Amino acid sequence: MAAAASTPEPSSGWDFKCNFEVDYGSEEQASIVYKTLAVDRELQPDKVKREVTVSGGKLFVHFEAVEARFLRASFSAFVDLMVLVTKLVEEYGVADS
Amino acid sequence: MGPISATLPHFAFDSTRLLSSPLVVLHKPQNPTAAAAAAAMSSSPSPASRRPPGPLALGLESSANKIGIGVVSLSGEILSNPRHTYVTPPGHGFLPRETAQHHLVHLLPLLRAALDDAGVAPADLACVCYTKGPGMGGPLQVAAAAARALSLLWRKPLVAVNHCVAHIEMGRAVTGAVDPVVLYVSGGNTQVIAYSEGRYRIFGETIDIAVGNCLDRFARVLELSNDPSPGYNIEQLAKKGEKFIDLPYAVKGMDVSFSGILSFIEATAIEKLKNNECTPADLCYSLQETVFAMLVEITERAMAHCDSKDVLIVGGVGCNERLQDMMRIMCSERGGRLFATDDRYCIDNGAMIAYTGLLTYAHGVTTPLEESTFTQRFRTDEVHAIWREKEMPVLSNIHADAMAKVSKDEASMPTPIIVDS
Repeated sequence: MAAAASTPEPSSGWDFKCNFEVDYGSEEQASIVYKTLAVDRELQPDKVKREVTVSGGKLFVHFEAVEARFLRASFSAFVDLMVLVTKLVEEYGVADS
Repeated sequence: MGPISATLPHFAFDSTRLLSSPLVVLHKPQNPTAAAAAAAMSSSPSPASRRPPGPLALGLESSANKIGIGVVSLSGEILSNPRHTYVTPPGHGFLPRETAQHHLVHLLPLLRAALDDAGVAPADLACVCYTKGPGMGGPLQVAAAAARALSLLWRKPLVAVNHCVAHIEMGRAVTGAVDPVVLYVSGGNTQVIAYSEGRYRIFGETIDIAVGNCLDRFARVLELSNDPSPGYNIEQLAKKGEKFIDLPYAVKGMDVSFSGILSFIEATAIEKLKNNECTPADLCYSLQETVFAMLVEITERAMAHCDSKDVLIVGGVGCNERLQDMMRIMCSERGGRLFATDDRYCIDNGAMIAYTGLLTYAHGVTTPLEESTFTQRFRTDEVHAIWREKEMPVLSNIHADAMAKVSKDEASMPTPIIVDS
C-alpha cells in the first residue's frame, strides 16, 4: 500500500493542503474503508475540509485547512483510524482480485 | 492488565433462572444461589464445545479509558468479554487523544481474543453492536469505526447502543433484578433511574461532576495509583481511616453535587496533612462516607417515589463494597433487596453493549450505516427501551427456532428504525 503527501501552492484562505492515496488493490476493500470513514464528518468544517474518493481499488484523500495545526490534527486523527480499519480489512476481508 | 476473559470462568444462565431468581449476587458468598451459580460457573463446559440457542452478538465498548469486546447470546450467556484498561501514572487523569491511541492499539488483539474465547466465527453472529455514547469523542470513535468496518466486512447489521442503558441491562441480566431502582455511578455519570412507560427515567442525577470523577480526582491529589483504578485504591485506603472529617453534604432535592466537596477536600487535604491533623486514609474514609451517604439518600427517595423495594447498583463505582454495604443496610431497613455485581460487569465491558444491542436487534431495530455516528452526550431517557415493553414474550419464550428465524431470514426483519432520532 503506497502513500504520498504534498503541500501545494497557497490560495484563498484554505492555504494548507494535503493529498494522499492508499492502494488496497481491491475496489470492495477500498470502498469498505471509504464507507467506514465517511460517516464521521470533520468537526470544524469552517476550518478543515476533507474529500475522500475511491477509484480503481485506491482511496484518494484530500485535506484543506485554514491553519497548519488544524490540518495536522485532522490528518493524524484520520490516518490513525484508517490504519485500524485497514488492519481489520486485512484480517477479515476477502480479497476479490 | 491483560485480557480479563482469559482468567474468567464463563458462566451460563438459562431463561427460567434469569426471570425467577437473582442468579449471581456477588459479594454475598453466604447466599446459596450465588454459591450454586459459582459452582456451575467453574464446572461449565467451554463455550467452544456447546453453543447457546438463539442469536449471538459482538459488542464493542470504548467510551472512556477501557476498551472491551464481548460476545453474548440473547439468553444472557456471556461467551467472552476481554477488556484492556488505559492506566495513567499516579497524579494524572486520562486525556481523549492518548486514550484513543491506547484503544487503537488494543482493538484488534481484543477482537481476536473475544472471538477465540467464545469459540465463534464472524458468520455465527447476528449483529455487531457498539457504544454510540455518552463518553469521550476520540475514544468513542474507535469502537464506532471498527464496528462499521466489521459490519461491512461480515455483512452483519449494526446496532448503536446507549452506554448507560447497557449498564442497566447488564446489571439486570447478571443479577436477575426485574424492575429495580437503578443507581448508576461511574467516572462520567451519576444517575438514579427507574423504568416507566418505555424509557429509563432519570429521577435524580449529579448537577456537576460524576461521583467517580470526584473520587478519581481526589486520588490524584493523594497521588494514589491508577492501577487497577483510582477508586479501588481509595476504597482500600479508606478501610484504614479512623477519624471522620466533616465535609459538605450536597443533596439538592433528588440531585447531588460533588464539585464543591472536591474543592473543599482538596484544600483540606493539603492543610490537614501538612499539620499532621489527619492521614490520607482518614480523608478517603470521610470522602467515601459522605458521597455514598448522599447517593443512598437520593436512591431511597426514588424508591419511595416509585414504590419499589429493589435497588440495582451499576457502573464502575458500583463495585465499591462500602457503597454496596451502605445501600444494603438501607434496603434491608425498607424490606427490600440490593442487587450488585463485581468489577467484571460493573466496569465498562463489551458484553454489556453486545447484550443490549442484541435485545434491540431481536425487536427488529438496527442502525443504518450512514446513521452509525457517535455522540458525547446521549441521555439515558432518550432511548426507547422497546425490549422492556415486550419483555416477557421475548425473554420467557426463548424458542431457539423462533429466534433463529429472525437471525436467518433477513427479509422478515422490519424496516430498520433509527435508535437515536
